[in-house]
Amino acid sequence: MAQTNNATLIRREIITRLCKLYIENRLEDIDRIALEMAPRNTTPVSGNRCCIHKSRAIIKYRVMALLGFNVSDETDELESLYSYALRALSHKEPEKGVLTVVDEACTSCVKSNYVVSNLCRGCLASHCMVTCPRNAITMEHGQARIDPLKCVGCGLCKDACPYHAIIYMPIPCEESCPVKAIYRNAEGVEEIDYDKCIHCGRCMVACPFGAVMYRSQIINVLHDISRPNRQVVAMLAPAISGQFKATYPQIATAVKKLGFTDVFEVAAGAVATARDEAHELKEVLEQGQQFMTTSCCPAFVELTEKQLTGLKPYVSHTPSPMRYTADIVRQQYPDASVVFIGPCVAKQAEARRYPGIDYVMTFEELGALMIAMNIDLQTFEATEQEEVIAERKFAFSNGVLNSVTDYYDGPSLNPLVISGLHKKNIASLRRITTGKHDWNMIEVMACEGGCLAGPAGISSPEVARKLFNAQSGVQAEHPLINEMKQK
Amino acid sequence: MKQMVEVSICYGTLCFVMGGSAFETMGEKLPDDLKNKVSIQGMNCPGYCNSQEYGRPPFVKVNNRLIAEANLNKVIESIRKEVEHGTNQ
Ligand code: FES
Repeated sequence: MAQTNNATLIRREIITRLCKLYIENRLEDIDRIALEMAPRNTTPVSGNRCCIHKSRAIIKYRVMALLGFNVSDETDELESLYSYALRALSHKEPEKGVLTVVDEACTSCVKSNYVVSNLCRGCLASHCMVTCPRNAITMEHGQARIDPLKCVGCGLCKDACPYHAIIYMPIPCEESCPVKAIYRNAEGVEEIDYDKCIHCGRCMVACPFGAVMYRSQIINVLHDISRPNRQVVAMLAPAISGQFKATYPQIATAVKKLGFTDVFEVAAGAVATARDEAHELKEVLEQGQQFMTTSCCPAFVELTEKQLTGLKPYVSHTPSPMRYTADIVRQQYPDASVVFIGPCVAKQAEARRYPGIDYVMTFEELGALMIAMNIDLQTFEATEQEEVIAERKFAFSNGVLNSVTDYYDGPSLNPLVISGLHKKNIASLRRITTGKHDWNMIEVMACEGGCLAGPAGISSPEVARKLFNAQSGVQAEHPLINEMKQK
Repeated sequence: MKQMVEVSICYGTLCFVMGGSAFETMGEKLPDDLKNKVSIQGMNCPGYCNSQEYGRPPFVKVNNRLIAEANLNKVIESIRKEVEHGTNQ
């Protein structure tokens, strides 16, 4: 879920600066971003970071991620951001993984799950040292110390200490990851296992140092917009109506002002998804398949490909609204660059697999680009009566199910809505695979409440929902969360 | 009877994206004792974002006091000050 905290705001500021440099044709100044944001003679915004050079290094790596690179791919520490920028403009096929860890920022976090607090008396018995199976504990200056590189996190020392002086500290990214895809490597820095990662974006939201970043494609979008005779078409995800204080037509006008040739609503593609998914559902249920799940959430689809493979055969084969919308766009603009704009990190992973979509941008990048181009939605006239596509409902949990049932005329439904792929819901889904239940239609969204709570949205889920209900013409009801009934 | 404390939230896109969206729920988040002492309104970008001298966005005005890098807590604290020893007696 999107939150506005300093880590998010710094990311938005860097995106804005990056866009400005590109637009003003000053990309060669890109290495100055770090100097400008962490000038000499000032303490870094976040207070007690050790020194200005570290702050600058962190900003540099953030820019690198926003240029689309994996931070860990750096081979030459002296390579300038300008050089990366030029490389970003010439390459198009990014390698695996949408999320990357800014290691310089990550090293500020706790080093291991168990920490000796100053309650430690350095006692004679030293139960902790004796108990530790890895010899990770030593006595230094009268206090126990845990070597984070040796500690395996078993917690025996914590239980052994008679003073309760050893505390458990969760590592936020690891704790938030529902699929154990992020872990501390031998250098003590978090690393993402792309064979496990489903791109839900939880670690990015959870990290208090903003160390997990998505690899942006914004520079490529800007580059295509700037090319003469190049058509660039934007597709706005249904959750757009919860992002700004503006109606859809106002936002669409603003997006065109940014330089996009045309703007399409992904809700239009969602109409086809809902209709076809309803037909598919009827067909498979009549053929005797026990249940079917939705397929519009890319993080969920990745989950069924990487972790819950037993669920994969039950996932609907109907293309997502993004893909259907891209088809609609292509009919009108066969040679255009097609850009999906949404609140989602996983969409970029999905888009890379389909040639119909060229780039994925996030809502916060859209906001940052508006700032960079001095576009203020408040100055836009409230426009003409807008056409409301009911499938804007795809933006929230329960909405997809709702839309599908609008077109459905098969055997009676016993639906389940899974809202949020946290550990508990993943465990529920695992049980669903075993077939001991009587649900026959299952809607799954990786974010609690649906895309309105996406990790790269502009406002908090609460605000996004409020704005959406006020502006979209459809209402996000509270999701019906059915309790899993075990047979 | 004291006048209402006037809270003006910048609705400009820059402020909104840089954290101002949080004020959308301000009405609900106000402590009960302040709820009927405040009138909340939006304003178009007054231009504070164009000059560093005003500080960083988002900007909110509480009566005539300008708050930079505003967040709900800062604004509520400022409203409380105005209510307790405000200039608008
Ligand atoms: S957008 Fe708020 S002061 Fe300009």
